[in-house]
Amino acid sequence: MDATLLHIQPAAPQPIYRQIAEQIRRLVAGGQLAVGDTLPSVRDVAAAHAINPMTVSKAYSQLEAEGVLERQRGKGMAVAAQPAGRDTPAQRWTLIEPSLDAVARQARELELSPDEVIARLSQRMRQQ
Amino acid sequence: MNALIERMAAQQMAMDQARPHTDIDTLPLAASRLELRYEGHAALDRVSLRLEPGTVLGLIGRNGAGKTTLIRALLGLVEPDAGSATVWGRPALQMGDAAKARLAYVPQQPEALAWLKVGDMLDFVGRFYPNWDAAFVDDTLDRWELPRDRMLAKLSPGERQRVAIVRALAPRPELLVLDEPAASLDPVARRELLREIALRAGESGTTVLFSTHIVSDLERVASHVAFMHQGRLLLHGELDGLKERNLRLHVPASAADQLVGPVPGEVARRPHLYGGHSIVIVREEGAAWPALASAPGVQREVLSLEDLFVEVAG
Repeated sequence: MDATLLHIQPAAPQPIYRQIAEQIRRLVAGGQLAVGDTLPSVRDVAAAHAINPMTVSKAYSQLEAEGVLERQRGKGMAVAAQPAGRDTPAQRWTLIEPSLDAVARQARELELSPDEVIARLSQRMRQQ
Repeated sequence: MNALIERMAAQQMAMDQARPHTDIDTLPLAASRLELRYEGHAALDRVSLRLEPGTVLGLIGRNGAGKTTLIRALLGLVEPDAGSATVWGRPALQMGDAAKARLAYVPQQPEALAWLKVGDMLDFVGRFYPNWDAAFVDDTLDRWELPRDRMLAKLSPGERQRVAIVRALAPRPELLVLDEPAASLDPVARRELLREIALRAGESGTTVLFSTHIVSDLERVASHVAFMHQGRLLLHGELDGLKERNLRLHVPASAADQLVGPVPGEVARRPHLYGGHSIVIVREEGAAWPALASAPGVQREVLSLEDLFVEVAG
């Protein structure tokens, strides 16, 4: 994987380490990063994007703790084997949680009841 | 003085005192209640600061907020009216050669020796530093296409800035202080400077303090940020934390009755364009969001650092 595959937005409200972690999770979930693929070194990512290497380390450490990445001797960070050929339920929830947060927040701002929102969401899920 | 700013400054001082204290000798820079007055106004208003080793601190502030004055006071280049500044535990005003050899400072306007050629100046300065990296100098002069044989006075402002930066980085200092380093640089040169700072900080543990009004530069490389506003130091903390702990709330007129007095963590408040109030809050680490943030009808958004700065200092 090339370091320039990541898209860093320093000015976004989301901290850079979170942006990196989220993008790598998506690449793994979407299959663009396969089990065993090595990630660019912390230094390469930091140099490519002119960001602090500690930020990259933070993202990699978090993904290692989640089991998405693992440290391989002599090779650096690599995509860890995902159980049973599919992400764990916990990982899948992590991907959809931001959207759920956004819906909950908007519903509250617009003063729409949870029951109404859930009803419409269920309808959509059954349709697709 | 604005009551809100007063409250923020007091909150900042309380937070600073509550943090576990590292031994002052290990702190590259520290200051306690610096005061400095210029022509009747407070250039520095009771500024306290502790810069931990390995930190990259970005100092943001409007022109005239006191950034340069603070930097000069921290390095003992100007004497404060009150308070103290130390460099590795020793008074900044009496900095010895040993400390001077461990730090590098790039001021806003590069200094003297203007009649020397670039190459000659660097050779001359290099003799004062035991750890001068001549290979780095050659490499960087080539990479940045800086002419060795031209007089400093004949360089463009951007080129002079870049030469000053090479001169600062060559001795591999433990502490790097830069005052508006990117002001004269084009975007490509700025990116390269940031890359160099970021790598040194992350890999060699170099401590960096730089002031800027280009917020996005800071967001790339800084680990910590501090806002300088009218001589006071506000919101000094981890960059990521500040991004994760701020919210701008739009409280509509219909919910105005929920606003009794200041909201915990409030840093800015203004009447909203479409009625109601816009309130910016910065939550303390570990604290919960105030109830107002989840009240029905209240809209919320997370601010970028630049927007946060404009709210506080605008």
